[in-house]
Amino acid sequence: MSESGTSPKIQTTIETGDEDRRDAPLDARETVIETRDLDVYYGNEQALDGVSMEINEHDVTALIGPSGCGKSTFLRCINRMNDMIDVCRVEGDVEFAGKNVYDDDVDPVALRRKIGIVFQKPNPFPKSIRDNVAYGLKIQGYDGDVDERVEESLKRAALWDEVSGQLDSSGLELSGGQQQRLCIARAIAPDPEVILMDEPTSALDPVAASKIEDLIDDLAEEYTVIIVTHNMQQAARISDRTAVFLTGGQLVEYDDTAKIFEDPEEQRVEDYITGKFG
Amino acid sequence: MATEESTSDGLGRSTALRLQHLKGRLFEVALVAATLVGIVSLLALFAQISIDAFQPGSASPTWFLVYLGTLVAPTAAFTLYARRRPAVRETNAKAFAAVFGGLLLSFVTYAVVDSLSPYDVFTYVFFTSLPPAIVVAYDRTTDDRTFTGPAIPASIVVGLAVAALLYDVVRGPIGIAAEWIMYFGLVTVPAALLIGTLTASRRGRRSGVVAGGSVIVGGLAVAVASIVTGTNAAFPVVLFSAFVVPTGYVLWRSVRTDPEGRVGVAGPFVLLGGTLLGAAVVGQFGIQNPDTFLTPTLLLESWDGLRANNAGVYPQIVGSIIIVGFMAVLAFPVGIGAAIYLEEYAPDSGLRGRLATLLEINISNLAGVPSVVYGLLGLALFRRTLGFGTGIVFSAAGTLGLLILPIVIVSTQEALRAVPDALRQGSYGMGASRWQTLREVVLPEAIPGTLTGTILALARAIGETAPLVIIAVATTKYSPPSGLFSSATALPLQIFAASANAKPEFRHGVVPAAAVVLLILMLLMNATAIVIRNKYGREH
Amino acid sequence: MSSESNETASLQRSGFVVRKERLYGRLIAACAVLTIVVTVGIILALSGRALSFWSQISPIAYFTGTSWSPVIAQNYGVLPLISGTLIVTVCSAVIALPIGLAAAVYLSEYASDKARSILKPSLEILAGVPTVIYGYMALVYITPAFKGVFPSLRTFNALSASIVVGIMIIPMVSSISEDALSAVPDSLRQGGYGLGSTKFDVSTKIVVPSATSGIVASYVLAISRAIGETMAVTMAMGMSPQMPYFPDLFRNLAESGQTITAAMVQIANADSLGTGPTYEAMFALGMTLFAITLTMNVFAELVRRRFREEY
Repeated sequence: MSESGTSPKIQTTIETGDEDRRDAPLDARETVIETRDLDVYYGNEQALDGVSMEINEHDVTALIGPSGCGKSTFLRCINRMNDMIDVCRVEGDVEFAGKNVYDDDVDPVALRRKIGIVFQKPNPFPKSIRDNVAYGLKIQGYDGDVDERVEESLKRAALWDEVSGQLDSSGLELSGGQQQRLCIARAIAPDPEVILMDEPTSALDPVAASKIEDLIDDLAEEYTVIIVTHNMQQAARISDRTAVFLTGGQLVEYDDTAKIFEDPEEQRVEDYITGKFG
Repeated sequence: MATEESTSDGLGRSTALRLQHLKGRLFEVALVAATLVGIVSLLALFAQISIDAFQPGSASPTWFLVYLGTLVAPTAAFTLYARRRPAVRETNAKAFAAVFGGLLLSFVTYAVVDSLSPYDVFTYVFFTSLPPAIVVAYDRTTDDRTFTGPAIPASIVVGLAVAALLYDVVRGPIGIAAEWIMYFGLVTVPAALLIGTLTASRRGRRSGVVAGGSVIVGGLAVAVASIVTGTNAAFPVVLFSAFVVPTGYVLWRSVRTDPEGRVGVAGPFVLLGGTLLGAAVVGQFGIQNPDTFLTPTLLLESWDGLRANNAGVYPQIVGSIIIVGFMAVLAFPVGIGAAIYLEEYAPDSGLRGRLATLLEINISNLAGVPSVVYGLLGLALFRRTLGFGTGIVFSAAGTLGLLILPIVIVSTQEALRAVPDALRQGSYGMGASRWQTLREVVLPEAIPGTLTGTILALARAIGETAPLVIIAVATTKYSPPSGLFSSATALPLQIFAASANAKPEFRHGVVPAAAVVLLILMLLMNATAIVIRNKYGREH
Repeated sequence: MSSESNETASLQRSGFVVRKERLYGRLIAACAVLTIVVTVGIILALSGRALSFWSQISPIAYFTGTSWSPVIAQNYGVLPLISGTLIVTVCSAVIALPIGLAAAVYLSEYASDKARSILKPSLEILAGVPTVIYGYMALVYITPAFKGVFPSLRTFNALSASIVVGIMIIPMVSSISEDALSAVPDSLRQGGYGLGSTKFDVSTKIVVPSATSGIVASYVLAISRAIGETMAVTMAMGMSPQMPYFPDLFRNLAESGQTITAAMVQIANADSLGTGPTYEAMFALGMTLFAITLTMNVFAELVRRRFREEY
């Protein structure tokens, strides 16, 4: 039943993905993030093992794999959120726009202003909706019209219609799905170049999740989106390219989403996608 | 070049970001300064008070050199040596606790019993411990233990009542015996029982009897030796039973069971030996001692408001200890009981749930009531309602007990809350009742936390002054209180009263010395609490 | 048949065990209820005598009188004592509230585990030192030291008293605020860093605002503690009640004064114990003090309960 129910959907997404690709041929897209031989250790435990990967501008790139495979670790390496974990050690290169983000002269604060992140569990600050969205602008010393940017961001996060009348009420009063869209609005308000999403829909109900998925599709027009998900159908629906991580923190296969889901090179990937493993 | 490049990327530190980071760093420095300012100013004041009390300026430089050589250097060297080796460090800490704990126990026991009269203490202790002892003995011989649990506290109450009734009859005959026999009964017999039980549990019944018996024989030998040499046997008996025996037992066991750390046992003896050696050298060569006010006179004499070199705070120290000790007897059972009710029994909802919420709010409010108001409560309760005399030990202990009750309750609640629910479920799953679960599983787990809280409450109580002033506890007293209904006195009160004395040898001498004694008592208690917390706190 | 009844009997509760359990339950419940008795006792003990006092001295004269001189002039105006209490409270709050909050932020957001394990107990010692020793240190060390800087300082003055009271209430602010700051979920900090915040931004713009109610509660409790503080102010500030001086505000600090609590100690210390309006005035003062601190404590507790449920 699930087979017949899902496969057409995968089909359509793959088609749209292919259309996109036809519109903008692969070599016309620039690589925005490139990792080379990325190893990450938590203490003595290795979480990522020699990951090399190129991520294209304005792509939606999905990272999938069983839990504990290192996909979230990889995501958090990109904007150096792992710096906050004392035992975490990173080796190898992560290049953003041609610059290794682990170079000494790179300020993680500046980096994160270019590469925003949305977390698994919605985490709005206990402030008003307006202040939540304006927070990033405030700390970055934005000197334009804040209200205008707040409105614009909320519109882009498809939340404006629902909250336009209650901008001064607390962000914690919203429903879970609304909170997550608020967090997305908050992340895009300072206009980053890349948005990282760490399983953004896994704490939400299916209706709220589908709204976020639609949103991600729109966001890809302006931003590069990298999304970690454990939901393979979601990856198939929304992403242009998919990276499969398997246990041990290895990147096993990375290709166009259509290729990964229809004809993966690796047997292990096929096993994982068809549910034989993981 | 590289910097320029990175700035153009926007990933390096732009000027604005640099400023933000600078602001952040300054902020952190300000936070550190704020955290330290209180601690540092207090340390500076402590230094002032210790200098006044100790008068280090009056000692000759040689004096410092002598003690540096005999005391400071060896102790420091030994401590450094021990710090590197965990096993040695642990044994060292244990040895320190055993030696100084044993010494403190002996002095406190002797001083308290001496001021309350050993005959009275013996009479009451004898009558209150005999009935529960009989119950426990019965408990060993029978299988039906339904009644023995509640019978123990009940028999204690009965014993206390019997003691009060028979006091006039019994006190006369008991008074015929020599004083040291009282101490023998009060300290040596319990020590023998303790050592006997511990040994029996490890090495069988026969060894236990031998060990206990040898403690008894040893105590008798000490008494006989003192009588032969013509000294009062009381204190030697106490010192033997409360210091030599338990400390010796602990040290001997460390040496036997822990070959790696056994060197650590030497720690306290390096310190004591250094002190004695230093004193001997100083005496031998006539080196100028400091004109310190921290003297045996201060600890052992009573206060003479006229001449500083005669002034002592012995009655006040013993008074404080008696008040705080009796306070603990009154307040701890009630406080722990209340905490158990709130954490383990009180339901979350319904009428009784609301009562529990009310109780919780009430307790946190009681913790915030100024101590001086508790003084008024004590005044009204003990003096007006119960008609007790002015400023007696009972009223002082009761007043302070009410004052620390919320502290005891809150800290015990925290300790109980820290016990994982899985343990309770496990116990219930085995068919244990609520009380059995509490007694066998929850309370043993919560003991360290409870102990920490109660010791901190004791430390708070020993420095408390305002309520004692309000219930009119006497400041000038030449002997420690002789019973629960005799008039009390306390160390902080003496400091308060003497602060008005503007003579320099008082203002910058004896009073700071008395304050140092009070501070040491309070810091010792705090340190004990912190050590217990750090030792057991990490388990959950 | 008989074996069946035997089995059911073994599943039934033994009457005595049930009664024993119930007895223990009642005993410890009684311990808990005793705390209510204490509160009621305080209120009864205070109100009886205080009402008797107010039946002799009119409450209007008590609450509006500007002179407190119970023994000499039989004046029972509480305003000078309230003024003294306010001066000490405000000045000690000026010292302790920012310092305590800064220490809390440091301990919760910046300090390493090692630094915390040393600093936290050290800060707690500040509240553990007997207040009589604080009073002595203020009188004998702080005042002479400050006299060099401010020659107009009296031997007994509000400045030294405020400083030591400020020091002793720092831990009240820092430990309760730190609890509130630590209760802020880590996901909020992560969210802040993810938006490119510096640690400064996360601490001051996210964590501290999120913990506002806990911080407010700690402030109220610390102020309430300062109002009730007795020995240090009695010893360092003296026994001469004063109305506040205007406009020379510093004079309020340099001069001696008397707080509500110090006036109670003075009455208790006097020889004539037991009767008369002066003795009963002590209970009226206690009632005043209790009402003020109780209101503040209830307020703090309510604020605190609210913040516990927030996230």
